[in-house]
Amino acid sequence: MALNLQLLLFVVLVGAGIVVAVFIYVIPSPVISPILAIITLIIAVFAFATKYYTYLMVPALKMKGRTIVLSADEPFIIAPNNTAILMHEGQEVYASAFVKIPLYRSATEMSNDEKLDFARLFSRMTTLSKIPVKISSQMHVINKDEYITSIRNKLNEAQERYATLGAKPGGSKASNDRIKGEVTMWKNLMDNVSASQAHALTIYAMVSAMGGNEEEALTIVNQQAEDFAAGVSAIFGVSAYVVKGIELLTFIEPDHMIPVETVTERLKEKATEEAL
Amino acid sequence: MDEYTIMYLSISGILIFIVIAGYGAYGAFAPLIIVLAILAMLVILLLNYADFVIFPVITQVLGIKVLLWKDYMVPKTENCVIKYTKGLYYAQGYLSANIYNYIFAAENINQEEDAGIISGADKWERIVMSIDFPFKFNVVSLAEELQKHREELEGRRGFLQFQMSREMSSGNPNTLTIQDMQKKINIIQARIDRISAGERPVKTIMYIETVAVGVSEKEATDNLTNQLNKLITVFNSFDLSIMRVTGREMHILNKLNYRIMDFDLLNRQFQLQK
Repeated sequence: MALNLQLLLFVVLVGAGIVVAVFIYVIPSPVISPILAIITLIIAVFAFATKYYTYLMVPALKMKGRTIVLSADEPFIIAPNNTAILMHEGQEVYASAFVKIPLYRSATEMSNDEKLDFARLFSRMTTLSKIPVKISSQMHVINKDEYITSIRNKLNEAQERYATLGAKPGGSKASNDRIKGEVTMWKNLMDNVSASQAHALTIYAMVSAMGGNEEEALTIVNQQAEDFAAGVSAIFGVSAYVVKGIELLTFIEPDHMIPVETVTERLKEKATEEAL
Repeated sequence: MDEYTIMYLSISGILIFIVIAGYGAYGAFAPLIIVLAILAMLVILLLNYADFVIFPVITQVLGIKVLLWKDYMVPKTENCVIKYTKGLYYAQGYLSANIYNYIFAAENINQEEDAGIISGADKWERIVMSIDFPFKFNVVSLAEELQKHREELEGRRGFLQFQMSREMSSGNPNTLTIQDMQKKINIIQARIDRISAGERPVKTIMYIETVAVGVSEKEATDNLTNQLNKLITVFNSFDLSIMRVTGREMHILNKLNYRIMDFDLLNRQFQLQK
């Protein structure tokens, strides 16, 4: 589809260029001919540019301000069965599924022969599929969003109780101190948890399939992913599986590689330090 | 150079040649048109061989941003993709990772290769331990048809052997040309030997991706640049030629997060991968 549009645009521009160039010879005017020549040269450059930039040329014609909008939609949607993502491009639908490969072996605990074997098994994995497969080793920040949110809620609750008790006339000093201690405890815990980031290393593979509709693309990609998972499991002797649900997003979305809440506190502290 | 490039270059070149051939019609403007025609050809060659240089310059001069998808913006510098969500800016950047193709290594399969593989595992672990930010090392692979690939290699070897024997039987054989051909034959032979030994041929494209976060766009892009520089430094321990990906090729690599395209098309479009 993309290649067809590219060739069509190229042929149209070359055709236009030839028509304009013919007029240079038909009307050999020292005023008009140079203008036609410049137009032909511009067309020649644009015709060549279609080789790489067709996807930008058509949206550039509809450019608003100084922004070329390729798509104003979300890049993908999660399939109803939660096993893949779907991407619409023109009339075609692309589905992509992810296979998690749970390999937790460290090179430090392997002998040289084991390292060689592991490398051979890994290269065998790359030859598993006759369709293109993306094999990735990803290091991401471990998601502590829920934990941080629960600590923050508890801290807010304790702070609120402390403020209410302080405003109340005749409150006991002991209970005041106890709540103050609780606030300090949650605050310290919050600082500790958000001060450092823990990372996880995951190996996964991604396969894609094209279909005329969502169901077709999904069926094909699920089959391919299951096949690939079975192949990897047989090679490494691990239980590779097709990733489902929210876990998918860790491999796609940058805000899941670095979860928002997990880094927010640290960024706030950094900004405060810089401001001070 | 593939057949598509040849077609695009030659047809665009013909258009320019038609303009140059009509120089008699331009009167006093003839020298200017000739200069412009040469300039147009230079632009075309630049677009073909180094569009990653020319495209960011154009977007920067014209101040053009590209909205890839909702919330995903490519700034005019064309060196990262920025996602703005929940009050934070996430900058995604890419590096190409090309394996150095040493002639002596390609010609002979020896014991040193095993040593390289063994040390590779240790190097990888040291890299992972020394990095404290998210990154991905991606390999897009496609298994080739074994028989087809073998026949292709044997065909190329036969053609080179024919060329070499013709050169040797000529009246004045050039030693350098013969040596060069012999090297090429050795490389092909080494590949055939590998296949005979049980290795399966595979096409690969490798690249590295990282994500940086910041409370402002500038902070995120600055952090990204630091992270990319660190990745370049640590991955130098492997025999990799690493280069920051910008412009059109970065758009393609970003799309690879969501779907894998046809391998040959990807290979043609991702020129930084050698």
